[in-house]
Amino acid sequence: MKILQSNAGVLTNCEVLELLKSRGAGKDPTRVIAAVAPSEFKVYDYLEQTVASKQTIEIIHKFVEDCKKYDLANGEMLNVVNIRPSSAVEIDPIIQDCDSRMGDRIDEFLENVVQVLPPYPSQLESNEDTAEDKEETTDDQQMGVK
Amino acid sequence: MRVSSSSSSSKDIARPPPSSLLKTLFVMSEIEHTLRLPPHLLNRPLNAAIKGELESLFLDKVIDKLGLCVSVYDILSIDGGFIFPGDGASTYTARFRLAMFRPYVGEVISARLKESTKDGLRLSLGFFDDIYVPIPLMPNPYHSEPDPEHKNGIRWVWEYMGENYPIDWMDEIRFRVHSVNYPPIPVEQGNDSEKKDSEEKDSRQKDLKPFVPMVIVGSLDADGLGPIAWWV
Repeated sequence: MKILQSNAGVLTNCEVLELLKSRGAGKDPTRVIAAVAPSEFKVYDYLEQTVASKQTIEIIHKFVEDCKKYDLANGEMLNVVNIRPSSAVEIDPIIQDCDSRMGDRIDEFLENVVQVLPPYPSQLESNEDTAEDKEETTDDQQMGVK
Repeated sequence: MRVSSSSSSSKDIARPPPSSLLKTLFVMSEIEHTLRLPPHLLNRPLNAAIKGELESLFLDKVIDKLGLCVSVYDILSIDGGFIFPGDGASTYTARFRLAMFRPYVGEVISARLKESTKDGLRLSLGFFDDIYVPIPLMPNPYHSEPDPEHKNGIRWVWEYMGENYPIDWMDEIRFRVHSVNYPPIPVEQGNDSEKKDSEEKDSRQKDLKPFVPMVIVGSLDADGLGPIAWWV
């Protein structure tokens, strides 16, 4: 076996997911029919649980375009795409020297991230749950009064 | 005879490479390998047969310095088809790209807790389980307490501003890659245990821990790392 190029290109989580989906990996419970090995299914399961399951190549391209002005290293940008931080504290371990390089623009950058990259469903659900809980409690209070 | 993979209609036609950036969780590696195609596969279209062979050879295996092979990305070319004397199978030289799982040092990854012991934590990604967070890389300051739910388990708790934040089993945990090691294959299982993950101290080594070809050491010691529930 000869290694021709150890680094022939980089893949975002989204691209790997697309690769597996194009081979037939899916939510089908039998999992025997598709031309995908069990170990690949484990990767598919992991990636489905991350925000990559909601991203597309176009979204990633758009995000990369938007972020050119922040002068980020490629690895940092891809890490943000894979993780989708929604607050400054989550960005801190990803971008080195975050304060000195980004400073005030961090909020702007976060806005960008949150708008362009779709959130993972559980984040949406938790927001909806808290909203529903509030509605229920107000209903209860009204009924109690009556 | 040179068979270019674009001649067949199978899905692994050479794809345009993704954005050529430097480093992230999954990387593509280009490999050339000479493989023997067993005769019982001869009735399959060549591309599919070669791909199947490559998958059984490389999938879910660790290649030194390249990482864990996750998938065959595409096949660039297939050469050869010679039959060696005395052999019923034909031999091909294929050039192909593999999608490798190879995180870089400093990358932040989300994982689940697999084990929590007195040596630290062990995290898992589902397809990769050998991620260790040794005690020096735990969030500081911390303390540990025996875990009520798991026999012999230890629960780790971070102390911050007077509050106790435990690391629980249901959490999704973010860690930063501290180092990626490829321990050399041991000649004898018992002797080389010192070269393996240095977090595994003491006498358990003598119990012949299975050889681990790729080990990631992670750190939780920074803002934003650890269970996501701590920060969101």
